[in-house]
Amino acid sequence: MSGRQVNAWAAPLLWLSLLLLLALGGDWLEPLLRWSEPDARRVLYPQADLLTLLVRHVQVVAIASGLAVVIGVGAAILVTRPGGRDFLPLVAQFASMGQTFPPVAVLALAVPVLGFGTWPIIVALLLYGLLPIVRNTLAGLEGVDPAVQEAARGMGMGGAQRLWQVELPLAAPVILAGIRTSVTVNIATAALGATVGASNLGAPIIAGIVNNNTAYILQGALMIGLLALVVDSVFARLLPARQ
Amino acid sequence: MSRREAPLNRVVMALSLVATATWLALPLASVAPNRIVPGTAHTATDLLGWPLALLACLPLVALMALSRRLDRVRCHLALALVLLLLMALPGWLAIASQWLVDPELPQARLGIGAAWWLSLFWLSLMLIELRSRLALVGWRAALLPVVVATAWWLQGAWLGSLALGQELDGRRGDFLEAVVDHLLLVGGAVGASLVLGALIALAMRQSPRVERLGFAVLNFLQTIPSLALFGLLLAPLAWLAARFDWLSAIGVSGIGWAPAFLALLGYSLLPMVRNTHVALSEVDPGVLEAARGMGMGRGQVFRQVRLPLALPVVIEGVRITTVQAIGLTAVAALIGAGGLGSFIFQGLGQAAMDLVLLGALPILAMALVADALLGALARRLDHRRLASPGGAP
Repeated sequence: MSGRQVNAWAAPLLWLSLLLLLALGGDWLEPLLRWSEPDARRVLYPQADLLTLLVRHVQVVAIASGLAVVIGVGAAILVTRPGGRDFLPLVAQFASMGQTFPPVAVLALAVPVLGFGTWPIIVALLLYGLLPIVRNTLAGLEGVDPAVQEAARGMGMGGAQRLWQVELPLAAPVILAGIRTSVTVNIATAALGATVGASNLGAPIIAGIVNNNTAYILQGALMIGLLALVVDSVFARLLPARQ
Repeated sequence: MSRREAPLNRVVMALSLVATATWLALPLASVAPNRIVPGTAHTATDLLGWPLALLACLPLVALMALSRRLDRVRCHLALALVLLLLMALPGWLAIASQWLVDPELPQARLGIGAAWWLSLFWLSLMLIELRSRLALVGWRAALLPVVVATAWWLQGAWLGSLALGQELDGRRGDFLEAVVDHLLLVGGAVGASLVLGALIALAMRQSPRVERLGFAVLNFLQTIPSLALFGLLLAPLAWLAARFDWLSAIGVSGIGWAPAFLALLGYSLLPMVRNTHVALSEVDPGVLEAARGMGMGRGQVFRQVRLPLALPVVIEGVRITTVQAIGLTAVAALIGAGGLGSFIFQGLGQAAMDLVLLGALPILAMALVADALLGALARRLDHRRLASPGGAP
């Protein structure tokens, strides 16, 4: 039994250990990176920084995605209640508009209001990540079989009870799939924050572009890719039934 | 005709309330003596005085009254009011620039405040809501933004001291060039990915192995952050250009359009291939059977049945790809590909926020317009398909 459980967590653990290896790897990574950039003076992005940047990257994505989940799921629940149904078309349209706004443009527009640093990228990610969550939550809640709803009502469940005990559990796989898409896309998009002074894994990439150092770019890109794989495989573990 | 009372429209009510609060509480405009100094903010009430500011709220109050029983006639009235309010929005800035900007100071400039942007936002949401209540589609729906844009353009003459306009004045030629560069890159990448994507999708239909491999590679490409993909292409392209003279002769180098184009192409392929593939494989087998039963050959089935049925889904792919490419091209400015992104990054570098706006606003507008146009095209083709089932001769 436990053997199967270990197997199920193998993929997330593998990606996580590779990620930490890159963050903490130290000098023996140098020959590998040297191959990509033979002439540069240094190829190893300062290691102490890499770990800090990784943590900051995770923080930014966690805050933005956390807010997107609260707002997105909350809004979708509100507009599927009898009192909020009027707002359903508008919320659906707004969520799809949010995805139309290019993250760079939102980022740039947020800087005059919020200043340089971490907040503009959080706003941009929040707006960009809202659509998959709202869309999937709406689909999940609307997809609950009316007969099941009727049965719950027949058992004497009130509106709130039906939401917590029937609708949300049934819709959970679809909602989680939406959150998965949103978070994995945001992990990659968060790198853009480095252009407005947020310190995250985009910083080595920008440093690499500015200094013409491919090794730096590789380190940033690999760590972002591995982080996305870690998170994605954890979600895959949480969603075993989905094909 | 039923005598049922039209219900309260909570959406219009809520939006008008929020718009009124925004208008009265937040700064409408700010004035700065020059480009770098942050401006002093002015709310509508201290700019126009309470009586005039409240008077300006009257249409919003009228909207609240209309929303209490929003039948069809009132819905049209409300739509007209919202349109008028939207069209008049630049007027408030013109008034602000008349009263606030000292003509003695040629460097003085007017910044647009939060109340203005948010009013635009709430009014646009109201426009969307009323449009869908009235079920306006086709050219009627398209007319609304065109009317507003025309009204804005006509008022442009009075907005000389707007900071955005001053930034534009200095670099009108650069701006046009950037717009053209941006559109060329987007158009080129989307066009190339449409052709290449269709070829890949067709190849995928031939063999499941190609399908698995193709999707694995394209999914992998999509997970590389855009910033990194641009960066990673610098070195290989610089090496290739140094190696082969004909490549550098056509303008390929480590920076500039070449890596931008390749990265855009790489990102565009996944949505394009996915949609084309879905479009071609999800045609109802019954329809195909019927077409074959009518004596159509393979090529005829493809041209007359598969393709028309697949087209809306393919156009949907083009829409996703185009919107994505418009945003990504802005990032490409970091590797010297030009386009509107260069204004954003220049502005960020100089802490000149109006220059940032000059880059970001057209990008936003382009994305919204492309989204609306291609979305409308996809719906139209889909509609035609529904209107004439089995329309093939």
